[in-house]
Amino acid sequence: MKDKVEEILENVQKEGRSWLLENEAEEIFEIYGIQVPGREVATSEKEAARIASTLGYPVALKILSPQVLHKSDVGGVKLGIQNEEELKKAYKEMVEKVGEKIPSFELRGILIQKMAPPGGKEVIIGGIKDPTFGPVVMFGLGGIWVEVFKDVTFRVAPVEEKEARRMIEEIKGKDILFGVRGEESGDIEALVSAISKISHLIADFPQIKEIDANPVFLYSKNLLCVDARIVLGE
Amino acid sequence: MNIHKISEELNTFFYPRGIAVIGASSNPKKVGYGVVKGLKEGGMYSRPGLKGFSGNIYPVNPSHPQILGLKCYPSVKDIPGIVDLAVICVPAKVVPVVMKECVEKGVKSVIIISAGFSEAGEEGKRLQEEFLKIAREGGIRIIGPNCLGILYPPNNLNASFGLTLPYSGKVAFISQSGALVDSVIDWALKEKYGFSAVISYGNKADLDVPHFLAWACEDEYTHAICIYLEGVNDGRLLLEVSKEVTPKKPVIALKAGKSSAGSRAVSSHTGSLSGSYNVYLGAFRQAGIIPANSLTHMFNLGKALSSLPPLKGNRIAIVTNGGGCGVLCTDALEEMGMEVPAPQEEMIKRLDATGLMHPAWSRNNPFDIVGDATPERYRVALEEVMKSPLFDGVIVIQTLQTMTDTVKDAEIVVEMFKKYKKPIVTSFMGGELTQEGVKILEENGIPNFNDVYDAATVMHALYIYGKWREKENEG
Repeated sequence: MKDKVEEILENVQKEGRSWLLENEAEEIFEIYGIQVPGREVATSEKEAARIASTLGYPVALKILSPQVLHKSDVGGVKLGIQNEEELKKAYKEMVEKVGEKIPSFELRGILIQKMAPPGGKEVIIGGIKDPTFGPVVMFGLGGIWVEVFKDVTFRVAPVEEKEARRMIEEIKGKDILFGVRGEESGDIEALVSAISKISHLIADFPQIKEIDANPVFLYSKNLLCVDARIVLGE
Repeated sequence: MNIHKISEELNTFFYPRGIAVIGASSNPKKVGYGVVKGLKEGGMYSRPGLKGFSGNIYPVNPSHPQILGLKCYPSVKDIPGIVDLAVICVPAKVVPVVMKECVEKGVKSVIIISAGFSEAGEEGKRLQEEFLKIAREGGIRIIGPNCLGILYPPNNLNASFGLTLPYSGKVAFISQSGALVDSVIDWALKEKYGFSAVISYGNKADLDVPHFLAWACEDEYTHAICIYLEGVNDGRLLLEVSKEVTPKKPVIALKAGKSSAGSRAVSSHTGSLSGSYNVYLGAFRQAGIIPANSLTHMFNLGKALSSLPPLKGNRIAIVTNGGGCGVLCTDALEEMGMEVPAPQEEMIKRLDATGLMHPAWSRNNPFDIVGDATPERYRVALEEVMKSPLFDGVIVIQTLQTMTDTVKDAEIVVEMFKKYKKPIVTSFMGGELTQEGVKILEENGIPNFNDVYDAATVMHALYIYGKWREKENEG
């Protein structure tokens, strides 16, 4: 498991990059057992259409380029593509738009990702290297909650399931996850396991500096991490 | 880290067979004078019962024959007896030389009060590395530099330039700030707040919070540990040691510096949310360290957690002679997630049957036994709540009415506490006219708080700590 991750990281470092493309980061997540949506990289409109019909619509398109870390800032993300016609249009527009913003950008391809089903509760899981404590793991409510209330909690990594469960029970908005007004509870066991896995990922590799799984959609059964970011460095 | 081993090693600081003061002075304006005076007499400020260190004290200064009546030596190497501990207050640039002499003398522990090291630029950093290297090779452990030193009332040891020894108590106070310590000691004298030890550790060139925690964990006089810190050298060591300490003794920490990571370059969401305070807070929770919000909060928790057993559950009975204060206390408890459950019918009937109750008493929790409550009324109400398995802890509130007998009330609270061993926190509200009662309570290990909110806060901490200890000891 670790060898495979090591190999991906080595390739990234060889290219002189300090962060992973989303498809690389998601591959690592998958190796560590963190669930990510079905996806494949397309290098042409035609290929994109083939991938999308295999995955099933709706899909998301995300630009893959070593020059584009913040994809949505330059028009490099399109969500909820419903059919082939929309897909081809979106593909063309995306390449053009990013090209306008960053003329020198190198296109590695476009990630075609199956859209996550609606109805998930949004959470964020992350990892960083803290100057005092070394690898630490973070968990909190995602989306607007994390922006406004910063309802997050930290632990020194790695953490096992008992400690991960304490993190979930500790945040102020935990009732949202456990379900309010008769709403179904999110899959807490899946969440516990994902927090623990990310904590191991940040602790296992000294070359990883930051990890974001944001957002992660928590369903009544299972969860799905729809955006993965891994940054390297000391 | 082996807690027991570290603790044994640090014991030479607290139980030295002989102490040298290097840089001792006969000038009362100098630190080197204050340290000798503190060791010999307990402090610069005397008070009845204050005693100095009973072992050998050796001032070191080449230009004096004696200081404060003690024979003075030109160098630590000239001292005839055993020196376990040296307190250094010479200028920074001389410290490496002095350290070498300490190694040759066979000194085990050194407190460096002098400033001008890592906190003071490149040259200072270099000097710190230099003396540290000498000490490591010579097997010497160091507190400081740039610190106040240590005060250990159980051994009448004031190895610091702190004003005076505080009263002996059950709380160990470990402080990164030295200036804070002086004022805390002055405050503690007025409040009769006792300390088992006060440690000011400054630049933490060698020994840091984890080491002092390990020592305090094994110190027989320490029942709770309060820490003021700005940062530690090794966060993972703090976590590792705390996890061993907190199931045995409560640890409360006040962390200064809440601003975010600031200059740290981050490109992830997680990074932008990870201000160092949040990470410390997470580590505290992981280690079972109770975070404090203020100095008052920290010492309140220290007082309660050092003298009372932790709560087994979160259900509290309130016995009060003032309705409003009972409501305030209930509000505070419930806000913190504690419960104030209603009493059983039989309990109410039994209290009614005593004939002691006012017709208008609340017949509910809070047990409002009305403003004209006599000590006997407190007794019957307390008997009921103390023996009932319905309540895990009891808060007794006393407001001062014309017929209130604060001394007798206090005696009854003490009697009930001894009889049933259930945690009691009191709020005998007032000041001048209630102090006699408060004195009786606190002398018997019942923490009193003037504000019912503070009483609720410590009850909550007793519950949180109890829950932690239960979980950790389960494994």
